[in-house]
Formats: sequence, structure tokens, C-alpha cells
Amino acid sequence: MMSLFFILITAPFFVGIILKVKAKFAARKLPSILQPFYDVARLFKKGAIYSTTTSFIFKIAPLVYFVSVLMAALFIPIGSLKGFLSFNADFVYFAYLLAFGKFMMIIAAMDTGSSFEGMGANREALYSMLIEPAFFILIASLALFTDNNSFYGLFLNLHISTNLSYILGLAAIYVLMYIAMIENSRSPIDDAKTHLELTMVHEVMVLDNSGFDLALIHIATWIKFSIYGTLISNFIIQNEWPLALQIGSFFFVQMAFAGVVGLLESFRARNKLEKNPQWIIMLSAIAIVLFLTTLIITQKIILY
Amino acid sequence: MTYLFIILYAITLIYFALSERTKKFVWLLAIQGLILFGVVFFSLNKIDIFDFIFILLETIVVKTLVVPWFLNKVRKHNQLKREHEPYVPVFYSIIVVVIILIISFMLSNYLNDSQMHTQYFTIAFTSIIFGGYFIMIHKNLFSNVVGYLIIENGIFLLSLAVGSIMPIMVNLAILLDVFMGVLILGLFINRVGDTFKSVKTEHLSKLKD
Amino acid sequence: MILFLLKAVLILSLGLFFVPKNRKYFFTFSLHLALVVISSFLIFNTFNQVASLKFPFLSLLNNTIYIEIDKLSAFFMLVINFTCLTGIIYAKAYLEPYYKSKSSLEFALHYFSFLWLHIAMLFVVMFRDALAFLIVWEIMALTAFLLVIFENEKKETIKIGIQYLIQMHIAVVFIMIGFIWAYSQTGADFSFDGLSVYFESHNPLPLFLIFFIGFGIKAGFIPLHSWLPHAHPAAPTHVSAVMSGVIIKMGIYGILRVLTYIHHDLFNIGLFILISALVNGLIGVSLAIVQHDIKKLLAYHSIENIGIIGIGIGLGVIGLAINIPALTVLGFAGGIMHILNHSLFKSLLFYTAGAVYTQTHTRNIEELGGLIKKMPKTALFFLIGALAICGLPPFNGFISEFLIYSGMFKALLSGNLQTDILLFFAISGLAIIGGLAIFCFTKVFSIVFLGTPRSDKVTHAKEASTSMILAYALIAITILLIGLLPVLFINPLIDIVSIFTKDTQAIQQAIPTLNSISISSGLFIVLIALFWLVRYWQQKRQNIRKDATWACAYTGANPAIHQYTATSYADNFVQISNQITNVKKEFKNFEEAEIFPKERTFQTHSSDKIEDYLIKTPTTFILNFLQKIGVFQTGKIQHYLLYAFAFIMMIFILTLLNLI
Repeated sequence: MMSLFFILITAPFFVGIILKVKAKFAARKLPSILQPFYDVARLFKKGAIYSTTTSFIFKIAPLVYFVSVLMAALFIPIGSLKGFLSFNADFVYFAYLLAFGKFMMIIAAMDTGSSFEGMGANREALYSMLIEPAFFILIASLALFTDNNSFYGLFLNLHISTNLSYILGLAAIYVLMYIAMIENSRSPIDDAKTHLELTMVHEVMVLDNSGFDLALIHIATWIKFSIYGTLISNFIIQNEWPLALQIGSFFFVQMAFAGVVGLLESFRARNKLEKNPQWIIMLSAIAIVLFLTTLIITQKIILY
Repeated sequence: MTYLFIILYAITLIYFALSERTKKFVWLLAIQGLILFGVVFFSLNKIDIFDFIFILLETIVVKTLVVPWFLNKVRKHNQLKREHEPYVPVFYSIIVVVIILIISFMLSNYLNDSQMHTQYFTIAFTSIIFGGYFIMIHKNLFSNVVGYLIIENGIFLLSLAVGSIMPIMVNLAILLDVFMGVLILGLFINRVGDTFKSVKTEHLSKLKD
Repeated sequence: MILFLLKAVLILSLGLFFVPKNRKYFFTFSLHLALVVISSFLIFNTFNQVASLKFPFLSLLNNTIYIEIDKLSAFFMLVINFTCLTGIIYAKAYLEPYYKSKSSLEFALHYFSFLWLHIAMLFVVMFRDALAFLIVWEIMALTAFLLVIFENEKKETIKIGIQYLIQMHIAVVFIMIGFIWAYSQTGADFSFDGLSVYFESHNPLPLFLIFFIGFGIKAGFIPLHSWLPHAHPAAPTHVSAVMSGVIIKMGIYGILRVLTYIHHDLFNIGLFILISALVNGLIGVSLAIVQHDIKKLLAYHSIENIGIIGIGIGLGVIGLAINIPALTVLGFAGGIMHILNHSLFKSLLFYTAGAVYTQTHTRNIEELGGLIKKMPKTALFFLIGALAICGLPPFNGFISEFLIYSGMFKALLSGNLQTDILLFFAISGLAIIGGLAIFCFTKVFSIVFLGTPRSDKVTHAKEASTSMILAYALIAITILLIGLLPVLFINPLIDIVSIFTKDTQAIQQAIPTLNSISISSGLFIVLIALFWLVRYWQQKRQNIRKDATWACAYTGANPAIHQYTATSYADNFVQISNQITNVKKEFKNFEEAEIFPKERTFQTHSSDKIEDYLIKTPTTFILNFLQKIGVFQTGKIQHYLLYAFAFIMMIFILTLLNLI
């Protein structure tokens, strides 16, 4: 239960920190870190407009999306704090739960009958399909490395001590970071700032949502970032440390993650949209190299 | 520590399959030179000072500085920007690289020969096969040179695999290969580029009898 | 007593031809119900006792044919009964529009075939004797053929029906060769049990391959699948549902039955099944994405799901070979449970698609759209079916895929290098198949039901009738039951899997995990309801309006033209997979000098490469060749006499020269 609490606390600050970092590098005036908070609070006070083309799918989709992300957060441990739910092979449930949320958002976008949203839905479907194997192969290599089967057990036994496991940790962090950026549709897949047809994936899917629904969608994006940040911080937090040190380093890593995302967004251009599928498959290829590294570490491949 | 560099080398091969700009090819070749230096530095048991300087010369100076500088000159002279449309789409090339990697890992596991250092053999094999594949799928003369250099890197690693000391002869031979290859091919590309006004390999088939 | 009732049902079915037209349906329905009750009694008895049920059925010419039902057969009987029952409930409303145009005899034949299909399938899993098995297998194929050609006013349908019949007979030939080969090599019983004697002493792989080809044509394994995408759209909907849900599972039953007798040299067999299943899954779902006919799309999805079942079974066999009990047990359990799950959600999808077809008279999804306003209940059930087939929690597809994943992850930790590389391919394959299924079903659901109508075929659509909705509801309740409370179904599964291996503790260990899944899924639904209430409370005091779609204030859009179509949705997937999906675009480009462009058309066309190479090219070649030879057939008697004289002359000369 505690881990959920920490994940939820750090969630709202993510987007704020990213915006601040980007603004600083672009020599613009910095918005307050709490700006997203104010935006969402304002949305909660508003009414909503529903399109006449839409149906009950459009009304129920943001709820399902938000609850799926919230429940996915229940599985993630922080260091030695267990998640609220934990069972064998729970990462499969985690991945498919997030996929359910995406499914509902995609059909809600198609529900509006607008070509813009159809475009975003289409791209989102393809990219989330391509990123699935990367996530599964990464988790399979970690499971093989730690000889364990659930998120909690995996991270509890993750000891980064030998040289080779440092590589494992670094590469895993690299892949996870980019998976987080793809899932939240930030560069280099998508440009969240522009509202141009050429570049939108996620932003365009929520064009017609308003009021309470839009607030839920924003909060879900924050929580998703927070989840992946927690997964990354688990690589750095060692389980032998005292609890206070673990929590402290957790906050530090989350802020660092947000900062790095802002950095990457400022300095890396968006991919040409046609090149996105091959770029995403490159992440799966790196995950496969990780898998082979794990096989070397666990002595299944014997090299002299 | 050598494993770190081997994994990094594998990742550079994946980036080779992914990228399409000639500038990135040259950049990746330079990085591969650095990685090779790291591999040699951390893996040799006893290093003569003379051997060490020679290897330093070969990897850092030649592979990382001289050859990329020369290739850059060729690139600028012919105004090559990017690789157009390889024969196999990039999406499938990445899958092919991964499959080659897996096959070479399994192969070295089955070989299980204590005479040979299989940790280098794996990546050398991958590099050689991938270099050949690289030449096959690209239509550009410049990519031929790059593929040839990837194969040379692979042979360098292969020489590491079969011995624990670096025989001078092998290194001299590889160095000669590299020099001649790059020099001749570079001049060749300049000539071809000037005559045909482009560096596509299809134009070369006009030269046959 | 049971036997007497069974035989009574068989004889009463003949009475179908004499009942008046308006009573035919009730007569069939009651016979089906009787059949279900009798077989349920048998199933119940089998699951309650340890040994299998065995009693004599018929005695012909001093040979007794026994009915032998073990847990595997009982499971298949359950699947058959449920789908056939919902099929006949659905058929009432589906066949109503045909009431005037078809004669009494055609209806009688159709109901008779449906009844006998049900009977034949039940007997297929009950007989072990090879000859009896082959006879009821034939009856199953013939009745399915009669059912497929129901709409025989279209010539295409008869052609497809005949193609189906031919391929089914090729399958029977292979199965017969398998049995005869085993019999000739060992002289044992000409039955399934006789196979065990053969497998003990010979290498199992070649004979298994012969049986695999025979049963694989029925199941729809690539490259033997070419009848599937044609037969399913041509048949009426309740028949397609039964075909997709049950008939192709009979092929899987055959493979499983043969596997129960093989106890050594299993690795190659398992590897073969795993690889062909992965190919099935990937190619099946890729081809499904580019289809525009809704039933053809669902047919390709059946191929994909047979792939998932094959992955489970293949992993189970590999687990037996390398002695990792967790993999065996969980692989088989996942594969077998997916058989039940697939028949459920695939029949639900077919029923809802059939309702759409009845109302709009088109199967082309490019002409539909916005049907959720006219047929909300049908849309809701289609959504449940779509979510279930993608394997999303809390529905039943997730449970079977989860079991397979658990098995794979457990085996990953304890296997050697070869196993790990295999499992790596299987895990990534299953993940990609899941992702592609989501891609395909978001496309189908959105294009058919959401958005605005793309043509005027939608304007007269009405909600489906109550008997159809009853059929949907029955299936949906079962789907939700399996998805939310999977532990209810685990114990029978453990019994079935113990036929293959005795060490079933891996499933016992999985029971707490399944309980956690139930709790999580329950929590999921509760939280959705909670937040719905919160939103209701917040929106009560706000101003909620309805207006046109905002879509970035682009007001020039005509909804019917500027929406996404199915082709455009599938396009970015086609760009990376054109080798498999083989989509060709036909259009003429605008020239630079064309100042006032003329009207242009744009067509896309996708074809099945395997079918082209395997069937179309050889048959076209043979037809062309035969056409050239057909020159000899001039139709004149004088020429034929000339041929006869030439032949006699040739024989005479050859005999003279001592060559013959």
C-alpha cells in the first residue's frame, strides 16, 4: 500500500518538471512546477460537451483507461516495499491491463468519427503493438537473471554487483526509459507540443474529451510516467539500504528521470513518422541483446 | 569488463542496421574503433610496451581517427547524404541482425572448444556475416566500403579469439588490408563519382565486358 | 437406458422430413435439447469417476463397437453441446428471412444436417475403433457440406462447398493411410488403441506427421488452411459459428488423441507443433487485418487462435520431452482451456456479425458504420467478444493465455539454453500475436459500429430479435464467469491434463494465482463503478451539452467521407508486412500536365499468398495444360474411329518389332 502512496505522490510533479527543464533549455520563462495541478483542478470544475456522433463507449472509455492505469500502479514495488497486489507472473497481467486501457481509448477516438482522431488511434495501435515484445523480453531477461517470477520477487532479488550485471542494469534502464516515452507519446515518437496532423499520436486521440474525462486522462498520463520511473528506480535502490534511504533515493531518481526526459526532448528531434516502426523494433533488438547477456550471466551460454 | 565492450559492439551493429545516413555510418565506425581498443586493453594478459603502442596506433589512430576522416572527405566530395531505399527494408534488417546474433551465440555455445576464446568468436562471426549482409543490401558504393570495414573489424576480433597474445604479423596484415582497402576504394569512389555523377552500384555494371 | 434414449433420438431425427414447415424448428430444437441432456449425463458421470466410461453401442456382424469416454472426450462433448445449443437458438431468428424463399424440403435438409452434425461430432469423440471413427468423421464432413451450401442460389456457394468437400476428403485419406499403416506394421487393433502398439516400437515422427496433415486440414493449420476463409463466409452464420467453434476443434481432438499414445521421442514432435502454431498465429492475424469481409476476417482469426492452442499443446509436448512438469501441465491446460474459450467468443462474434449482416445485407465493413446507435445490444456483445478474443482481463481469453505464459516463465528459469531460446521465440511470438489481435479488433469494432455511417445500407438496421440476444447472453455470461472465477474450471482441467502427465502440482500451485486474478479483476470492476459514481456526482451540478464533433474545429469535414476507413486503418501495418499480406493498390497517378484532373478510382486488393502458390497456380497450370490436350476431343465420330485405328496400328507395329 505504501508503494502506491509514493507513486501517486510523485505523479503530479512529473509533467511539471519536464516542462520546466524544456523551458530552461529553450531559454523561455519557466512555468510553475504545480502548473499541471492547477490545470486539472480547473478541469474538475467544468462541465462537459459530448459529441452527438459518440455513444456510451466514449463515456466509459476514460474511466476504464484511468482505472487500468491505477490498478497497474498497484503491482509495482519500491525497493523492499511490496505492491498492493502481487502474484506469480503478474507482469503479464500488468501488460494486458494497460493494453485494455489502450484498447478503450483507441475505440473511443474512433467513436467520434473524425479523421484526426482516427489517425491518432491508428498510430497508437501500431506503436503499442510493436513495443509489446520489447517489454516482455526485458521482463523475461530480468526474471531469468533473478530466478523469480513476480514484480516483487524480481526486484527483491535484483543484486547489481558484478560487472556484467551493471551492463544489464544500464541497458534495462535505457530500454525502460524509451518504453516510457513511447507509451506516453513523447519524442521521438510524437511531439506533444505541436498540434499538427503530422506529429500527433496521443494528443490527437483526446481532442474531443472535456471536463472530468480530460482530467482523468491527464492524471492517468502522470501515473503512467510515475510507474515507469518507479520501475527504473528499482534498479538503483538496493534492498539492503535502510528504508529512509530507499525512499529518499526513490524521490531523487524520479526527479532525475523527469529531468532526463526533459533533456532528451529538448535535444532530440522527432523521428520522421514513417521511421517510427523501425525505431521501435530497434528497442526490441536491444532487449534481445539483453536477453542474450542474461543467458551469459546465468551460465547457460558458456563462453571462454 | 570485456563483456561490456562486446555488448556495446553488438549494439553498434544494431544501430548500423537501423541508420540510413552516411554520416552516422562513419560515426559508428569511429565508435567501433574505440570499443575495439577497450576490448584489447582489458583482455590481454601481458602486454609488451611495443605491442601496446602498435595496437594503440592501429585501433585509436587508424580506426577511430584516420579512416573516418578520410571517409568524411570522400563523403563531402561526392555529396552523399543518405542511403536511399536499401533492397531490404530497414524493419527487416534489424530482425536479420538479431537472428544473426542469436545464431552466432548458439553456434559458439555448441563449439565449446577450450582452445578458442569463444567470447570474441561470437561477436567476430556476427560482425563478418553482418558486414557481408550490409554490402548486399545497400545500393551505394560508399556503403560497400563501410561494410568492408565492418568485416575487417570482425577479423580483428577473430584474431583475438584464437590467441591470447596479438601476433604482430596478423595485425600488420589487417592494417595493410585496411589501408589499401580504404585508400583504393576511396580513390575509386572519387573517380566513379566524377565520371558517372553518382555512386550507385548499378552504374558499375556498365563496366563489364 | 441411456443407450436406448440415444438411439431413439437418432431414429426420431428422420421424422424431421415429415413434420410441417412451421413445426420443424421446434422439433429440431427439442431433439437438440434431448441430445444435450443425454450427453450431459454421460459427461457428468465421466468427470465423477476416475476411469473412463466404456459400454457397447452397436453390434454389427459379430463386431461390437464400443463407446469410450475419457475426460478429454467429455471436455470436447461439453464444448460441442454448448456451441450447438446456442447455434440452434440463434438459428430461429436467423433463418426467418429465408422462410418464404426456401422450400420445406430445403429447411428439413438443413435442420436434419444440423442435428446430424451435432450427433456425428459427439460420436467422433466417443468412438475409438478406426472404422467407426472414420464413418462418423465422414458423416460430419458431409453434413457440414450440406449446411454450407444452404444459400445455393449463389453459384459461388456451391463452388466453395465442393472445394470444402474435396479438401475434407483429402484429410480423410491421410487419416486412413495413418491407421492402415499402423495396422499393417503391427497387426494390432484397427483402432486408436492399436496406435499405441505402433508408437512403442517405431519412430513416432513420420506417422504423427501423416496424422497431423490429415487432422491439420480439418483444424486449419497453415498451409492446409485454404478452405477456411472461403467456407466460413459462404455458410449461414450459425453454421459458421459451429464450424469455427467446434468443427475445427475436432482436428485438434484428433491430434491430441494421437499424442496420448506417444511416450518417447517427443521433442521433435513438440518443436514441429510449436513452430507451425507460431506461423499460424502470426500469418493468420496479419491476413485478418487486411480483410474487408467481416466473416472472412473472423475466419482468419480462427486460424490465429488455432495457432495459440497449438502453442499451448506444442509447449506441453516439449515439456514432456525435456521433463519440465510445469511447462507440460500449464501448456496443455492453457491450450485445452483455449479450446473452450475460443468456441465461446468466436461463436459470439459470429452471431453478432450475422445479426449485422441480416439487418444490412452486406458483409463489407467499408459500407458500415455508426451501427451502435441502431443496434446497441449487438454492439455491446460484439465488444465483449472482441475484448475476450484479444485476451484482455477480466475476460476468459486472458486466463488461457495467462496459463501458457506462466508455464513459459516457469520453464525459462529451469530450462537449458535450447529451451530458453525456444521459449524466447514463443514468448515474443505470443506477445506480438496479442498486440496484432488488438490492432485488428479495434479496427473492426470501430469501423462497423462507431463513427458515422459510410453508406446508406445502415439506415434500415434494427436491433436483433430476442432469441438472438438470448444466444448472445448465454455465451457472454459464460465468458464472464470463466474470466472472473477461473478456479471453478481448474479441477476438471487438472483431470484432463493428468492423461498426459501425472505430475500436476504446477496447476495446484497456480490456483492461488488464479484467485488473485479473480480478486484483481473484481477490484477493477468495482473501481470503474466507483469512479463512474464520482463522475456522476461531479457532472450533476455542471452543464452537460451535446454538440457536433469538435475535432480541432475543422468544419469542412463531411463525416461519411472524411472518416477513417478500414483500408486506411490497416495501411500502416501493411507497410511493414506486405510480404505476408500481399496488398496491391490499383490507381492511376495524377500527371503533372493534367490541369483539370479527371475522376479517378482507387482499389485495394489483398490475396492469400499461400493459397495462391499452393492451390491457384497448380490448378491454373493443370487446367491450361488440359485445355491444350482437349484439342483431341473434337466431337466427331470419324476422328474417334481414327484414334482407335491408330492405336491398333501402333500396337501391331510394336509387337512386330518385339518391343511389347
